[in-house]
Amino acid sequence: MGLAAFGAVATLALAACGGGSTSSAPTTHAGFNAATSSVVNPSTHKGGTITFNLTTWEDSMDPGGTYYASNWNFTRYYATPLMTYASCVGSCGSKLIPALAAKPGVSSNNNTVWTYTIKSGMKFSDGQPITSADVKYAVMRTFAKEVLPAGPVYFQTLLAGNAASYKGPYKNKGVDLTSVTTPNSTTVVFHLNKPFADFNYVAAIPQTAPVPQNKDTGSTYQLHPVSSGPYEVQSATLNKQFVLVPNPNWNPALDPAVHQLASKIILNINPNANDIDNRLIAGDIQMDMAGTGVQSAARAKILTNNTLKQSSDNPITGFMWFIYINQQVAPLNNIHCRMAIEFAANKTTLQDAYGGPYQGSVATTAMPPTVIGYSKFDLYNAGSHPSGDIASAKNQLKLCGQPNGFTTGMAYRSDRPRDTAAAQALQASLATAGIHLQLKGFPSGTYYSTFAGVPTYNKTHGIGLATGGWGPDWPDAYGWGWALFDGQSIGTAGNTNIGMLNDPAINKLFLNLESATTASAQASISGQIDMAVMKQATFLPAVYSKALLYRSPALTNVMVQPTFGMYNYGTLGTK
Amino acid sequence: MAAPLEMTSESAAPEAILEGVGGQAIEGRSLGKIAWLRLKRDKVAIGGGIFILFLIVVAIVGPFLVQNPNIYHPNLINPTLSRPNGTLGGVSLAHPLGVEPVTGRDMLARVVNGARVSLLIAFLATALAVGIGTVMGVVAGYSGGWIDTIIARLMDIFLAFPLLVFAIALVGVMPSSAFGLSGNGLRISLLIFIIGFFAWPYMGRIIRGQTLSLREREFVDAARSLGARGPYILFRELLPNLWGPILVYATLLIPTNILFEAALSYLGVGIIPPQPTWGGMLSDAVTNGFYQIDPMYMIIPGFAIFLTVLAFNLFGDGLRDALDPRSSR
Repeated sequence: MGLAAFGAVATLALAACGGGSTSSAPTTHAGFNAATSSVVNPSTHKGGTITFNLTTWEDSMDPGGTYYASNWNFTRYYATPLMTYASCVGSCGSKLIPALAAKPGVSSNNNTVWTYTIKSGMKFSDGQPITSADVKYAVMRTFAKEVLPAGPVYFQTLLAGNAASYKGPYKNKGVDLTSVTTPNSTTVVFHLNKPFADFNYVAAIPQTAPVPQNKDTGSTYQLHPVSSGPYEVQSATLNKQFVLVPNPNWNPALDPAVHQLASKIILNINPNANDIDNRLIAGDIQMDMAGTGVQSAARAKILTNNTLKQSSDNPITGFMWFIYINQQVAPLNNIHCRMAIEFAANKTTLQDAYGGPYQGSVATTAMPPTVIGYSKFDLYNAGSHPSGDIASAKNQLKLCGQPNGFTTGMAYRSDRPRDTAAAQALQASLATAGIHLQLKGFPSGTYYSTFAGVPTYNKTHGIGLATGGWGPDWPDAYGWGWALFDGQSIGTAGNTNIGMLNDPAINKLFLNLESATTASAQASISGQIDMAVMKQATFLPAVYSKALLYRSPALTNVMVQPTFGMYNYGTLGTK
Repeated sequence: MAAPLEMTSESAAPEAILEGVGGQAIEGRSLGKIAWLRLKRDKVAIGGGIFILFLIVVAIVGPFLVQNPNIYHPNLINPTLSRPNGTLGGVSLAHPLGVEPVTGRDMLARVVNGARVSLLIAFLATALAVGIGTVMGVVAGYSGGWIDTIIARLMDIFLAFPLLVFAIALVGVMPSSAFGLSGNGLRISLLIFIIGFFAWPYMGRIIRGQTLSLREREFVDAARSLGARGPYILFRELLPNLWGPILVYATLLIPTNILFEAALSYLGVGIIPPQPTWGGMLSDAVTNGFYQIDPMYMIIPGFAIFLTVLAFNLFGDGLRDALDPRSSR
């Protein structure tokens, strides 16, 4: 399945290579959700300008220092990591394919040593060949948190040797990162401190895109990165504009997941999100880079106008909104009291609070459908009782020894309107079963570090429930759920396992996942974790987040990349 | 012209004599009586005053007369667009001001319930700020010297104080009950204290500046040469001349405080939902973008705040004219 789609994309790229300006399809309004199931306006036409808008400069345009899904998507224009996601729709788009590497990483020693070989013929935009040393240097500089503060920290936590004390090539000049070795100019080897079956996903993070050491300027490198992808930076102004033009030294045959069709790509910062929507619909710009969907005003405009609706997509983003049920706060230490909350929750008003059916579909599982191994089930009757199964809830309250209900605290982020709305909706719906919530709002900046993410704070302040949201770094059960459900992930602050789930059986399943070797075994374990978590009732799923994306009719090769839940930027062209 | 001789010269202002000329009996009138007479003749100010009284009555008894403001009506909402069904935010007989987007809660009930909290916080916080600001400003301006230096630097400190950072820190240390109060009762007291305590330097600076110029005036010199002491000059000579700026500033402070409460709620220190407040509704309409899909959600609390401010401004204007006989109209 994955290979077939990969082949289809490769053919398209080869046709582009041939340069035949085949007539572009005249389709403009391909249909609602068309780009989630097929490639809209497939074309090999070259030329034109694609203009992106974005409300604010994200953490960094440096591939080594960004933690935004939209930027992981956008950096594919000028950064080629070892691995990448296949450019195709549906579950095929969650599959990893080699990008800079010639083939996926080869693991040995029970998944603790991962070896990658670089494709021959890969060049930087300045014509220099890409070597394994450039990949190693790119990984080394991600350790310098004073220069690249925002990126993920998988290398810091997974690598063996001196990774724990290494501070990056700027502070520790001349010090070697011993756990990444380069036996020759095309081979790079990662030595891990524990088995890690998902390392190929880590290799797909833009942090493995090569950086030539002699061109690195630290924190300003984001404005003139040396390109290893189809485009190179023509000009960049911090917090204002980023302009890309085709990279003459890029060979399309070597990286079929991305194309070089448009002759210019411009990213402009525009602080007004509603203005971005209006320009997008008017055709002044072609893409909202954030990829999180249009604002409520444009949503009303698109959904009430059939022509506009035919040019929109409403994919599941892979993100999920939910409520933690803390099993250490009495009386929620009794599983029946937790189940009472699962039964009594009104999923309809919760869905409304999170923006309605186009912003999220009602969730009944502990993983979103984009995660490999997901299967649909509904333990707490959300399907048959969309406004809450009060009878079953009262039954559970009796079993819990609280027949008249109980009172507990609920934390939420007071500066997030949807969190605030969800907390109030849950308060109103649980009250019908006799469960009373005392709402406690906290600023989102310190929500995890100081309040709801601190287990002792929740315990001493009687906070039994807390709103949460989560998007995985990669779409499997480990990337999704380890930090939410594994007992080892519980921290004293910044905790994301606020339900305090520490179930030996679930922990064991995660261990099995770390050393699983086949995809089918991983999928099966993932499904078991999902079911086991829901049976523990420490996690009240609210909605699988969705985004209403407007697909500019001027664009070609438009498809929704399921891993990011937004359009795949790397393949786009324009008419 | 025998009349003036019958009056004690202390309490008689020249205007009072004129008032008495056409009347049947000439009687002594206090400054307060004169002011009341002037105020009564100012129809606009009286209108503002009546509206303020009406607001206070609504805030006290209104919540008992309207429906429960926290009942959800999901059937009145279009979930796809998050906005109420029907015109003008879902106006109907059951919901005369329509319903809230997303939840379908009754707008009339929420505005009336919001009046209680918003007005309580706005009035008391303003009173606190004006009270502290006036006393400190007058004392600083009249005394001069080291007292002025200390108070002026104190104002600088309060003005430079990062209030929002302080508010965020307060979220963490704030207990769920204190001083016999808990829940929103505690939050309201706390908000009044925070807002009042950090808004006074603005008032204080204005008053200090006014006092600095007033204390050099002839009537103050005259009082001093007649043997008047500090407190008498402060509160009987200077303060009556400061009513103008005090009233104008206080009427401007009220809407600021209504909105400031909403800003603090945003940080989690304000009023706990689902208790409605005007500022909270307004900021929800703006931050959530509801003003674009359901303008009534912004217009209704906005109009309530607008009417309150207008009433206070008109009444305050009239009161100043009545209290300050020298002000030209």
